[in-house]
Amino acid sequence: MSGIKTRARAVADLVDGCIVASVELATTPERVFRALASAEVVDWWVNPGVFDTREWTGDVRVGGYWRASGIGGGGPYALEGKFLEVDPPRKLVQTWHFAGAPGTPSTVTYLLEPIDGGTRLTVRHSDIAAPDRRNNIGAGWRSSFDRLSEILATHPA
Amino acid sequence: MSRIQAKTDAFRAIADPTRRAILDRLRAGPANAGTLASDFQSSRPAVSKHLKVLREARLVVDTRIGRERVYAVNPVPLQSVAGWLEGYRAFWQVSLTKLKRNLEAK
Repeated sequence: MSGIKTRARAVADLVDGCIVASVELATTPERVFRALASAEVVDWWVNPGVFDTREWTGDVRVGGYWRASGIGGGGPYALEGKFLEVDPPRKLVQTWHFAGAPGTPSTVTYLLEPIDGGTRLTVRHSDIAAPDRRNNIGAGWRSSFDRLSEILATHPA
Repeated sequence: MSRIQAKTDAFRAIADPTRRAILDRLRAGPANAGTLASDFQSSRPAVSKHLKVLREARLVVDTRIGRERVYAVNPVPLQSVAGWLEGYRAFWQVSLTKLKRNLEAK
C-alpha cells in the first residue's frame, strides 16, 4: 500500500470547545470500524503509565450503551455513553461521559472515508463541558475527572 | 474572583471574534485604546468595551503611562483555557497513534 504515511494529529478548538483529530490508516474502513466498536478499544485507548483502558463493553446499535473502564493516574476511571448513530463502515456517533459525573455528556463522532490505499479516520469530540458547567461539581468527580485530565495534559503526546 | 470564575470569563471573552482579533493584535505588542480603534476602524467606546471584558477575564493587563492606558496580553488565562482541553487532545493524539500502530502491524 502506498501513500499512507500521515501520522495522527489532534488539535483543540478553544472557541468551539472541541477536539478534531485525524489519522490515515493502511487498512479498510470495515477493519477500522471494528476497532472502534468492539472490545478492541482496550488495545488503543492506552498510553502506558498514563491511562490504560482494561475493559470495554457495548451494545452497538442506535440507543445502545457502551462502557469503558481502566486505570489512570493510579486510580480507576470509567467512561460511558450511548450510541447515537451506527452506520458501518462510514460513521459512528456516541456520547461520552465520565461515569457518575454531573453535567451533560460530550459527543464523539467518528467518520471513516476510503482513500487510496486505506482509510482516513476523523474524530470530532464536541460539547466538552466548559469549566463554568463544572463549577458546582461534587468532590468525588473532581478528583477522578481532574486527575485524569491533568495527567493526560501533563503527558503530551 | 475565583480561579474558575476567571477561566469562565476567559471563555466568554474569546467567544467574540473582535476580541480574538484584539488579542491577536496585542500579541504583536502593547497598544492603547486609540491605536486599537484606528487599527480596527472601530469607535473608541466600542474598543473600550471589548477591552473591559478582556481585562475582567484577565486576558489583558493595562498599565497607566501618563494620561494613557496601555494594554498588553496576559498569557496565563489563555494557557488555562488550553489546559482544560489539552487532556482530551492528548487522549486522541495518543490513542489514534496507537490505533495506527496496531492496525498496520505486520
